[in-house]
Amino acid sequence: MECERDRDEALQGDKLEVLYGEADPAVRERVDAHLEACAACREEIKALRSLRRDLGHWRVPIARPSFTPRGFVVPRWLAAAAIVLLAFGATLGISGYLSIRQALASQEARASLLEREQRESLKAIQASLARVPVSAADAQALVARFEAGLDERLKSSELQQAERLDRRFVSWQERAEVRRRVDMAQVAASLSYLDGRHGEQLARTNELMGYVLQASQKR
Amino acid sequence: MGRSDEELVGACRAGEAYAFDVLVGRWEDRIRGAAYRFLGSEDEARDVAQEAFLKAYRGLAGFKQEARFSSWLYQIATNLCRDRLRRRKTRPQVSLEALEETGPVIVETRPGAHERLLERDMAEVVRRAIFTLPEEQREVVILKEYQELTFLEIAQVLDVPVSTVKTRLYRGLVQLRLRLETEGVRGPAPVPVPAP
Repeated sequence: MECERDRDEALQGDKLEVLYGEADPAVRERVDAHLEACAACREEIKALRSLRRDLGHWRVPIARPSFTPRGFVVPRWLAAAAIVLLAFGATLGISGYLSIRQALASQEARASLLEREQRESLKAIQASLARVPVSAADAQALVARFEAGLDERLKSSELQQAERLDRRFVSWQERAEVRRRVDMAQVAASLSYLDGRHGEQLARTNELMGYVLQASQKR
Repeated sequence: MGRSDEELVGACRAGEAYAFDVLVGRWEDRIRGAAYRFLGSEDEARDVAQEAFLKAYRGLAGFKQEARFSSWLYQIATNLCRDRLRRRKTRPQVSLEALEETGPVIVETRPGAHERLLERDMAEVVRRAIFTLPEEQREVVILKEYQELTFLEIAQVLDVPVSTVKTRLYRGLVQLRLRLETEGVRGPAPVPVPAP
């Protein structure tokens, strides 16, 4: 078969498509039919396949570290979640700080108010004392009155205490008497029980002794 | 299941900056890989990747979502690489990688050293072969072979028709095949590929 492979660009293209696996079925069929009839093209295809294997020897050197950052890249959703969490935490922290500060401020205000009130009342007392001067006679009379009142209250208290002690003593005596009687009754009951037991045992022993005597007499 | 690129772009526009971090994490290695293969320099590739993401971030408002976000990103990175290659032509530079190539030969004696040397040699032969291609073919080969973009996506990235992408790729592969055969790498017979 006469082949014009050097001039027939369509045939060259078809053969290349077959060589690189891009031929559709129609092209493949056409090339196969041609190769069956054309020894030169068969040899050429064979040589080109061999050439492709030879070309595979030239490899690209292993890349040195390049400009591309290959570390872990945080996805956007994760970054957004982290930002939201951070914002939430920051809000909590700030609001906590503000509330503590507010509480401290109100306590300070209350304390200063109380202090002011105390100071004012102290001033009022001092002023009232300064307004009313006290003489020595009045002071002695006041002390005497105070002491008399104190003695009276002491006596009254002593009387009340003595009455309370008497009542308690009487009550204690009554309870002790009742307790004594109960104990005596229990002792008497126990003794009578023991007497009963003793009497039964004695009767039983006498009965046994009777039997023993009767038996010895019979022998 | 994570959000699609288009959903993340929408989220970025709505103000979710984290969504763009996800996009960077998803595409950074591939953009850096494409830039490394366009430019042949690790440092420049990293710079281009950073610049591309920066441009994309700034240009999100103007992104019309007619193409996929990844195609748009590749387009930005490809244009940045083209600029750098153009500057190199006017101001030739010697990269550290190029200096390393002419440095002293290290003799390895550990087990498997021979296989590793063979693998490294093979990779170097492939790299040199790809850099002999014209720029437009090299772009297509890299985007298709290493970035595994579809023909349509490559067409969007480079802003050319799909047929042009295929033509450039075909020509690039044929040239690479000839170049590797000239280097004595192998003929058409398959050879087992070492485990990565």
